[in-house]
Amino acid sequence: MTKRRMFLRMVTASLLRRRSRMLIALLSIGIGSTILAGLVTIYVDVPRQMGAQFRSYGANMLLLPKEDGTLNRESLQAALNTIPADSLVGAAPYCYTRLDMTSRQQSFTAAGTDFDQIQKTSPYFSVEGNYPAKSREILVGREIAETIGVKTGSDMVLTWQPGTTSGSGAADGGRLPGSVLSGQAEGFGGGMVYVTASLDKESRIASLTADTSSQTPEIGGAVPENESFMEQFAGMTLPVRPEDVDVVSGATVTSTAIVNALNTAVATTTAVRPKTLNFNVAGILTTGGEEEGYVFLSLEDMETMTGSDRLDVAELSISASAGQLEEYAELIGESSDSVQARLVKRVTRSEASVLEKLTGLVFLVTLVVLLLTMICVSTTMTAVVSERRREIGLRKALGASDGSIRAEFLGEGLFLGLLGGVMGAVLGFAFAQAVSVHVFGSSIMFQPLLLPAAILVSMTIAALSCLLPIRRAVAIDPALVLKGE
Amino acid sequence: MSLLELKNVSKIYGELKALDNVNIHVDQGEWVAIMGPSGSGKSTMMNIIGCMDKPTSGEVLLDGVDISKESSRKLTDIRRDKIGLIFQQFHMVGYLTAVENVMVSQYYHSMPDEEEALEALGRVGLRERARHLPSQLSGGEQQRVCVARALINHPELILADEPTGNLDEANENIVLDLFAQLHKEGTTLIVVTHDPEVAEAAQRTIVLEHGRVAREIINENFGKS
Repeated sequence: MTKRRMFLRMVTASLLRRRSRMLIALLSIGIGSTILAGLVTIYVDVPRQMGAQFRSYGANMLLLPKEDGTLNRESLQAALNTIPADSLVGAAPYCYTRLDMTSRQQSFTAAGTDFDQIQKTSPYFSVEGNYPAKSREILVGREIAETIGVKTGSDMVLTWQPGTTSGSGAADGGRLPGSVLSGQAEGFGGGMVYVTASLDKESRIASLTADTSSQTPEIGGAVPENESFMEQFAGMTLPVRPEDVDVVSGATVTSTAIVNALNTAVATTTAVRPKTLNFNVAGILTTGGEEEGYVFLSLEDMETMTGSDRLDVAELSISASAGQLEEYAELIGESSDSVQARLVKRVTRSEASVLEKLTGLVFLVTLVVLLLTMICVSTTMTAVVSERRREIGLRKALGASDGSIRAEFLGEGLFLGLLGGVMGAVLGFAFAQAVSVHVFGSSIMFQPLLLPAAILVSMTIAALSCLLPIRRAVAIDPALVLKGE
Repeated sequence: MSLLELKNVSKIYGELKALDNVNIHVDQGEWVAIMGPSGSGKSTMMNIIGCMDKPTSGEVLLDGVDISKESSRKLTDIRRDKIGLIFQQFHMVGYLTAVENVMVSQYYHSMPDEEEALEALGRVGLRERARHLPSQLSGGEQQRVCVARALINHPELILADEPTGNLDEANENIVLDLFAQLHKEGTTLIVVTHDPEVAEAAQRTIVLEHGRVAREIINENFGKS
């Protein structure tokens, strides 16, 4: 048998055959190690935990269209793809417009959105009834509901009026680049003259056709065949000044009617009719905020009404540190030419400061527990040493050098540390899991590194705690075994 | 040839002269008893011979080496290499089995060898009790394990402190028989005792009184009983 095997045999025998005594030492290391492992696990997991917690206070990033870009589902999805899927809690798109309830002569701000996502980005929304699940179902803000007296299950007829979108183009008659305009004006003898003009990319007239069949044949009726008259409009921008136009002699009234028709022409694409749909109120929304004055409907219904897939903003809830959020925002701004990201500083800043305080607190508690564990283990080991005075004296009398005594006690301490570390890793994880579930309401993943780390820390604590007791052990006089006590 | 020689050895604790100018010598292979009432300086002498204490003055030659001025580390080496100790209270490591207790002595001396340790237990008649813990052994059995432990490293000197003080007569005789065997094999034995019977088993008895050697008695009947 080698010396090493005998050493291990003595050390393990000391622990295994003196169970009750060493159990106390093991318990103190084990419990200390458990709390430490638990706290460290929580410490590591706190940012994730709290990140998820903070997500219940609402979005921390906004996606907005760039000045010359549009935000729609495609560009939103493209922007979302730059954020890691596992940290994206939710992304709620919003498209705002005014909808009228003609029966009550009321007009409301309406938001088209995605109700699944709203529940993720704004978990504090409180809905009486249900979130809309089907088409033609809406969520009505409490304020509106009280004003007009609707309840869950009520029907509401809502009308969208063209030109009420906040987008550009409606105010100037829809003279958008590339659009086709049509108009009409009264000509000679009260007959109507119709024109259709197409605009080029610079909003200049590219082509013009006119219908003058109500005018005097050969005179007014022949104006559209007059090439020099018709072609002079090419390149002009609307509105056309009458003095810039050379009229067809003898058909002055018809010519002027064509100019008037052109100037009042509106884009055929924006010449959309008002749209009225019948909705069912699925729920009443209470938020304590301005949302109570809104009507929420699905994006699909919104599109059906307005015919546009334009979005005004998307609220994102992302589980990430302030630094990461800034990175994501920058990335989105760089990669997309139509979408920009903005952080909700109020949320991200307070998150960062709360996190800092919380991790600091856990760190402090960890330090205190570390210290307490060391004191506890050291005390226990000191008690063990004085309990084993005779044995130590005997060993020295038998020829044990100070080094041997040190090695044996350190060996026992390290062995205790090893057992305590394993115990700590397992129980500590359970402890952290329990804390996580009860305090944060979510579970944590087992960190494989926890086991070696707990063992290492626990053995180090045990070794350090043994230093003083070992000094006492070494100081024991071997002669005491001869005194026949 | 003398194995141990004390020349003018004194040990003074403050006012108290525990040993006062003691001169003794023990030959190689000799079996010597040291007797004396309590307070006579037996324990002090035992500690000094056992390399666990140093005299205030005088020389202690063990196997020709003066151990009176050595460092305690050096003394530990000498004790381990040359001396086998047997104590009144048996003193075993409580959580180790009989054979392991014997092996502890081997471990500090050189190399643990279970076979050899079992043989030594066989010599004291405890081979079949080798796997028992001290708590499962009687006092006599424990003391026999201690004898086995003391002889395992073939020390030049076996130093026994009241080895039979806590034993019944049957076990006392077993231990004394073991001493006789060791003596025959040439081991030097120094036995500190109160017990005249134990002293009579030795070749020579040194009687201490008030820290001095009062007298020496040669056992005329040695080896005849």
